[in-house]
Amino acid sequence: MRQNLFIFTGILLLALPQFLFAQSRTLAVLTPFLAQPGTQLMVEGFEAAAKSKGWQVDVIDTSGDVAALVSRMEDVALQKVDAMVINVDPSQIRNGLLAAKDAGIPVFGMDSGADPLLTANVTSNGYVMAAETATYVVDQLNGTGNVVMFIFEPYPPVQKRGAIAESIFNNEPDIKIIEKITPSFDRGPLEGARNAMEAVLTANPTKGSIQAIWAAWDDPALGAEQAIRDAGREDEDIVIVGIDATEQARDRIAARGNLKATVAQDFNGIANTVANTVEQYLKSGSVSRSQIYVSAKLVTADDL
Amino acid sequence: MTVSLQLASLLRRYGTFLGFLLIVSFFWSQRPETFMTTRNWLNITQQVSILCVISLTMTLVMVGGDFDLSVGSMASLSGMIAAVLWQQEVSLFGALGAAILVGGFGGVFNGVLVAYAGLSAFVATLGTLTIFSGLALLVSDGKTIFGRAIPEIVGDFSRGGISLTEGIQLPNLTLIAVSVLIFMGIVLQNTVFGRNLHAVGGNREASLLAGVPVARLRLIAFVVNGVGAAIAGLMLVSRLSSANPTQGDGLMLNAIASVFVGMTMSEEGEPNLFGTLTGVLILGVLSNGLTQLRIDTYVQQILTGLIIIAAVLFSRLSLRRR
Repeated sequence: MRQNLFIFTGILLLALPQFLFAQSRTLAVLTPFLAQPGTQLMVEGFEAAAKSKGWQVDVIDTSGDVAALVSRMEDVALQKVDAMVINVDPSQIRNGLLAAKDAGIPVFGMDSGADPLLTANVTSNGYVMAAETATYVVDQLNGTGNVVMFIFEPYPPVQKRGAIAESIFNNEPDIKIIEKITPSFDRGPLEGARNAMEAVLTANPTKGSIQAIWAAWDDPALGAEQAIRDAGREDEDIVIVGIDATEQARDRIAARGNLKATVAQDFNGIANTVANTVEQYLKSGSVSRSQIYVSAKLVTADDL
Repeated sequence: MTVSLQLASLLRRYGTFLGFLLIVSFFWSQRPETFMTTRNWLNITQQVSILCVISLTMTLVMVGGDFDLSVGSMASLSGMIAAVLWQQEVSLFGALGAAILVGGFGGVFNGVLVAYAGLSAFVATLGTLTIFSGLALLVSDGKTIFGRAIPEIVGDFSRGGISLTEGIQLPNLTLIAVSVLIFMGIVLQNTVFGRNLHAVGGNREASLLAGVPVARLRLIAFVVNGVGAAIAGLMLVSRLSSANPTQGDGLMLNAIASVFVGMTMSEEGEPNLFGTLTGVLILGVLSNGLTQLRIDTYVQQILTGLIIIAAVLFSRLSLRRR
């Protein structure tokens, strides 16, 4: 019996403060990616915007588990929240979206993909961001050189970036893509990219054999830069670019090393636009557009 | 046996189940209007159905004294195989059959390595975990397959079920889990294979001396587990209407946790189906109830871990005290 008492008391003790301080809830933010810096910025931005509007927000993170996210959407649908905000590829959570629809709860995408089951999705234009960094590389290389690409195909918004950058490089007759790498996530993409880059550097030992590294987001760009520094090849002027403008990437760009540019998604702008779109919907029952783009900006050392 | 000893034995056997009932009562008292509803319970059974299938077949392997770390990546691989085949316009059942065959072959591979080549289950299935995971990425080219590539009926299946009353249905995924439970119950309790497997898990040397075909039984357990993982992978594809090369990976640890929690419900600390089912339900009810109570998701993880440790620890202590 002591075992059961222990379990019961444990739950009680840990649960009590939560519902003492928050009895009513209005919105739920659901994502499997809260550990990602970009998602964190958006969720924090959304919480701040929601607070200013007097909303209660529950943030639910399933640590990479998309099936669990569907389950949590079903739970939240039963709780009859006023709206759900998701940061995940909607094509993978169709059952959760249908549970919300059955419960009459609108779902808004915060940097998700477009989906007819979403009331609206607010995001940056992935094609434009990839084009910004890929053309920056082409310009820096004067249209000639070998490029290593770090891509990630399983997540459609990032896959898009790789596809557009690849077409831009392929359209330049004197630019050659020598490697396309999907970094391992076992110990985080930064470490995965560093290991992969070490192998690429070993396979291309001649100075000047690599001119640029294009990464679909900042972590592999940072990992590749570390590998280049560790190999003592930072003086080869290899141009590295990433996307997302995380704090770490901004620091490295400001240090004027090999990492030259990134694209700043306006995470706060996305979060605020989602909050405003939710507000508009809750007031009027409709939104003006279902796919809303928030501009992103190329960041180089001159901007920092 | 005195009454108090009988009571102690009952508590030892059903303590974890009583703990589960207490957890349920707690959530019921806190969320009376939403937690103890037919809809929510059917929701929970659907949410745990995939974990349930994989945990039940894992129980079989663990009854034989082994375990299998590769079930999560096998679930990802088999789901991916089906999705890739559907993308190439192979028939619905052709792809389902191929995915289940892949699960079976994966099980044969594990079983041969462990039961015949003599590798430890830990090392062998750690290796195959990586192999299956790599194969899932290879066949999919690392991409998520979704949209029109997945036949509509596959996604619809997980949303369908047997209608009970207006708007309430017994989900198809729950029905699959119940079918697997019944099948495993028959296999483990009512067949010579099941009884012999218990003997193998209890004392491998003695079983060998008694003429039990130990290696063959262990191999079969791995094959059933591989097929179970494949079924779970297909259920996952149906639930998510998409296939991702890593989407089943998280199942392995939860399956092992469920079996371990369930082992506290046996006098000898053996894996057993009722215990595993209770373990699965505890995990499912905790996620559902804690979400309804608006407990921070990270606190949820800590709580779940603490409850698993507490259940196993107290059971171990009570066994020692006997």
